Amino acid sequence: MSTPSIPKSNRMPVGSVQCDNTTLNLLKANDFVAKAIREKLSDVLVINVCSSPGSGKTTLMQETGKRLSDKLNLAVLVGDPETDRDAVRMKEVGINALQIVTGGMCHIEAQMILQALDHIDLAGVDLLFIENVGNLVCPAAFDLGEDIRVTVLAATEGDDKPKKYPRMFLTSELMVISKADLLPYVPFSVEAVTQDAREVNPTIEVMTISSLKGEGLDEWCNWLLEKVAEKKARLATT
Amino acid sequence: MHEASIVRNVFEMLQEAYPDKYKRIIKVQIEAGLLSNIQPILIQNAFEALIVEEPTLASIELEVLLLPIMAHCHTCDKDFEVKRHKFVCECGTPSRNIVQGEELQISRVEFLEN
Repeated sequence: MSTPSIPKSNRMPVGSVQCDNTTLNLLKANDFVAKAIREKLSDVLVINVCSSPGSGKTTLMQETGKRLSDKLNLAVLVGDPETDRDAVRMKEVGINALQIVTGGMCHIEAQMILQALDHIDLAGVDLLFIENVGNLVCPAAFDLGEDIRVTVLAATEGDDKPKKYPRMFLTSELMVISKADLLPYVPFSVEAVTQDAREVNPTIEVMTISSLKGEGLDEWCNWLLEKVAEKKARLATT
Repeated sequence: MHEASIVRNVFEMLQEAYPDKYKRIIKVQIEAGLLSNIQPILIQNAFEALIVEEPTLASIELEVLLLPIMAHCHTCDKDFEVKRHKFVCECGTPSRNIVQGEELQISRVEFLEN
């Protein structure tokens, strides 16, 4: 293919031109499927967990499963470009988990969730986590039919993430600062990161946890129980 | 973000929306809010690459309009531009009420009249 000899913008159309002002949403297909998921999972609290790779999402899921197993029926859909390692890790601690292998894709799309729902038993499940692909850019643009989006940010990543990846923090209800046991050893200011996150999203909640040492996990689990109860209450009144 | 697949989507969508007039399209305008993570130059590159596959598209001009982020301040009851992702009005009131900036849409199509 050779480059067009005349720049397109310089080519004058022959004849008259008819214009159509429109709004054709380019993410419409995804949003349509997300709506279908919301309708299908009307009695399940769905939380989309986003973060960079290696922030400790899977470890947090494991610890959450252990702590809430007698209070909630929990399931996890976990996305990764390759391998089913994360689903295996969660099944090892007794969590009902299904791996979504995105085949190299850097985010999960709603269609993948809808298809996965046919392969996981959600009977009686109160809380479904979607552990997104580790990436703070693309997942922010894709509604997966979730009720709540949570972003996990590890203390080792640096406290400048909210300003670098604003859309992710803008669309999250909660920012979980993980690996808090490492805070004494790394230059990470919880205060600064909270201030930056709230400049992007004034209503974002902030929680500090350590999955390894257990710090903050009670608060996290109570928050989840509260959100599940809220969704059930909403369902009961409609 | 995913400029290549977005450009492909644009033409699939136009084909669906204008089955009769699709072949007469000469210009397409896309509006992308700054929160959509779209880079106009990457859209143009992706479009050039698509033309290699589908030479009939070469006669179409693709324009990308970037829209600034606007939020509404309920204290001042007016919209303000969000600069550097600081969602705080100049009066000091924070706002998540985004009125512009999340768009990713085809906003205008021009056809050659028969």
